[in-house]
Amino acid sequence: MLDRRVKLSLILVVACGVGVAAGLFGVGGGVLLVPLLVLLFGYEQHLAQGTSLVALVPPVGILAFLNYSHAGQVSWKVGLLIMPGVFLGGLVGSRLAQALSPRRMRRVFALFLVVLGIWQITSAWLIK
Amino acid sequence: MWYAGVVLMGLAVGVLVGLMGIGGGVVLVPAMVYLLAMDQHMAQGTSLFLQLPPLGLGALLVYWRKKNVDLWAGVMCALGFLFGGYFGSKIAIQMNSRDLQGAFGIFILVAATLLWFKSRPEPGEKKSGA
Repeated sequence: MLDRRVKLSLILVVACGVGVAAGLFGVGGGVLLVPLLVLLFGYEQHLAQGTSLVALVPPVGILAFLNYSHAGQVSWKVGLLIMPGVFLGGLVGSRLAQALSPRRMRRVFALFLVVLGIWQITSAWLIK
Repeated sequence: MWYAGVVLMGLAVGVLVGLMGIGGGVVLVPAMVYLLAMDQHMAQGTSLFLQLPPLGLGALLVYWRKKNVDLWAGVMCALGFLFGGYFGSKIAIQMNSRDLQGAFGIFILVAATLLWFKSRPEPGEKKSGA
């Protein structure tokens, strides 16, 4: 069993790496953080998800966002339209998660991501 | 119609946010690229923009009440995201959009693989289930 402080320091190091990926791909980072907390640090699934949501409460993407914004790569209108739905949907989803055993749902989500990933790769590099 | 579609898209992604404990960007970016025909860089910048307010706060409170939160680990992760994100975005902006889109595809394949492995029952879980 790792000392608590050692564990927290290691989590910081892992989170820095996840943060690079988050800024690179314009995502929050939770999608990598949740499985890594479970696989590397032995977190129980619900605890990993709750902890990931803590990390996403402060505007952690702000430095990355400013870089995109300086490059003129932000659509303000679409962003503002999506915000309220994500908040309200989050309430519904979190209640569902407390009620469900999330294993099957995670696998469905993983398969969904595989489809999205292959689609992204083919449309980027294989279709002219 | 277009406005309603975009708002509904946010709602659907929000359910995933609460369900999986993620920020939502991993689904939002491809959704904006394919459904709204956005450029990859623009979709990523917009995804970061709309995640600035604490949209997961409502979801977090539900986890908090069930004591499914490690506060200090969350704070460490927030710090890592903040500084890591700065460097990641610097790299992204220099790439061309097509390569970035392909790299994003690889990224979500990696995320999907991790999710899949994680979903095997853990040793402790097996015992308690029996």
